[in-house]
Amino acid sequence: MRAEPMHKISRKGLTVWRLYGVLQTLLLLIVAAFACYGTYYFEWPSFIYFIAVAVVILSAVLSTYLFPKIRWERWRYEVRDNEIEVQHGLFVVKRTLIPMVRVQHVDTTQGPILKKYGLGNISISTAATVHTIPALVMDEADGLRARISELARVAEDDV
Amino acid sequence: MSKEINRLHPISAIITSAKALKSLIFPLVVIIFSNGFHISFNFHSDNFWRTTFLFGIWGVGALLALVSGIVKWRTFVYWFEDGELRVKYGLFVKKKRYIPFDRIQSLNYNEGIFHRLLGLVKVQVETAGSKDRKPEVELTAIRKAAADVIEQEMRRAKNQVTEPMNDEQSEIEEVLVPTIYHMSIRDLFILAITSGGIGVVLSGIAAIVSQFSDIIPYEEIFNELAVFAKFGALLVALAVIVSLIVAWFVSFVITLINYYEYTVRIEDEKLIITKGLIEKKRITLPLNRIQAIRIVENPVRQLFGFATVVVESAGGNGGEGNDKKITLFPLIQTQECLETLEQLFPDINWRPEFINSPKRARPFFYRIDFVWLIPIIGACSYFFYPYGLLSLLFIPLTIVIGIWQHKTAGYMIDGKQLTMKYRVFSRITLFMEKKRIQSIGTTQTYFQKRKNVMTVKATVMSGMTGMTGNVPSLEQQDAETILSWYEH
Repeated sequence: MRAEPMHKISRKGLTVWRLYGVLQTLLLLIVAAFACYGTYYFEWPSFIYFIAVAVVILSAVLSTYLFPKIRWERWRYEVRDNEIEVQHGLFVVKRTLIPMVRVQHVDTTQGPILKKYGLGNISISTAATVHTIPALVMDEADGLRARISELARVAEDDV
Repeated sequence: MSKEINRLHPISAIITSAKALKSLIFPLVVIIFSNGFHISFNFHSDNFWRTTFLFGIWGVGALLALVSGIVKWRTFVYWFEDGELRVKYGLFVKKKRYIPFDRIQSLNYNEGIFHRLLGLVKVQVETAGSKDRKPEVELTAIRKAAADVIEQEMRRAKNQVTEPMNDEQSEIEEVLVPTIYHMSIRDLFILAITSGGIGVVLSGIAAIVSQFSDIIPYEEIFNELAVFAKFGALLVALAVIVSLIVAWFVSFVITLINYYEYTVRIEDEKLIITKGLIEKKRITLPLNRIQAIRIVENPVRQLFGFATVVVESAGGNGGEGNDKKITLFPLIQTQECLETLEQLFPDINWRPEFINSPKRARPFFYRIDFVWLIPIIGACSYFFYPYGLLSLLFIPLTIVIGIWQHKTAGYMIDGKQLTMKYRVFSRITLFMEKKRIQSIGTTQTYFQKRKNVMTVKATVMSGMTGMTGNVPSLEQQDAETILSWYEH
């Protein structure tokens, strides 16, 4: 059995994901409210009420509680001298190995919500693929970016 | 270095204009149709002003197209200087582009009917950075001799650079033979007959039809169709079959024309592919840009021992249009194919022994399909009661295909090479060198985890994006072996 990658992402990342879930649920709530109003006003079949309520409740439970939890538990990464390994997934566990020599460039990005929590995403691009490690503490993300770009430069090789 | 300034052949003005005019034909058709033929040049007619106005606008457009073609030809010059191909064009905004010869990936030649009558070629110069699937420089029409000059210049410039380490190259060249593959007429016919081009033709027709959807009164047609349907399903079926046959025949002819005299030669570490009956094409592909090689066998061709060989190449598109993959051998007998490839790429093991997916993984190959299959079958059976039950036949079909896919799935590691074999419908054998693989990943569902199996994906560069090979449900141990192999 291969060992899992070492590092987990920041605990604050879980909070941010929950927040995303809340926003998504709110959005759905608005849509559901419109649907219910429409049903009441135009006398559409009443099962629409049930669907609307069910969707909102499901979204609340899944996208603010269960999914972020599973995803956070699962997310792992490790940056070694010769390669980067990440593991993520919700129902399907995905593991990816990216050799340093293949790394073309590294970006960090930060949206408003992430910024509030002092977090950032880091994207690692190869010639063919892009891999993102989400919700890292910004200092750590910057450090990682510097480290990866340094390691990638050392391991110069042709494409 | 010669500093002689070269121009395009005058015919290129016509070709460029014609191309621009071609895109103006459709608006013209729209103008005519959307006015419902209420067109009149009679001054007393109500429609006179409208007609004049519309045609006036169109005419200005057409005139501009013509002029721009001539301007482009008059201003376009190219020359060789300092080991670079330099191009300059433009009337008001002058554009210059300098391309160092050793950055040129490929020189592709294209001879349309126009070109062939006058002994001209269209040359497309591609570098690794060619964006938007467009060649870096396109010389619309030059004499063949002039095209040869470009090639000579390029070779001369490259030799100057690489002279110190030349011995390695010449060694390789000795091993290789000039002509690698030539498609015989018999193979050409087999290719055309078994080509899956039907789908392409049909979607092409659909695209054309949808283009005209504003113009053609579909509702009336549908009403007529309803009458037509009353004649019985037989007639409809007949019409469908006839149109399928016509589509197949069109694809047959297109394939014949496109792949006529398909030849692959090797020269200076480059593959040169020539093909075409009416429009002759020449595609150059540097060997060192090849990222991976795929042998594709669709079930029909596999039955007769034929395969298609596709190469994934980085950068330049080889003039093939929307795809970055280049067909190396469109149709080749499997045995012959392996021998030829062995000659071409002696470093790669072309006769791998595969480690297959374990037996307990078999259900994973069809079980997932039931998730969407069962609702469909249920709906079919319910809504079209007696005949809908026929959809139950999909269940054994899915299982059989699943078992087949399971039998095919396998991998092999040999030194610095990873070979993957898998099947969607066609059998794909993907040969990759470790240094060309961009990333390797595994995926495992909850159910796969219980059975200790894992899916492995390997991505290589192909054009501007990637191409991913995917072997489902290998033994977890094996998947981890691949990861560890890739690590060091």
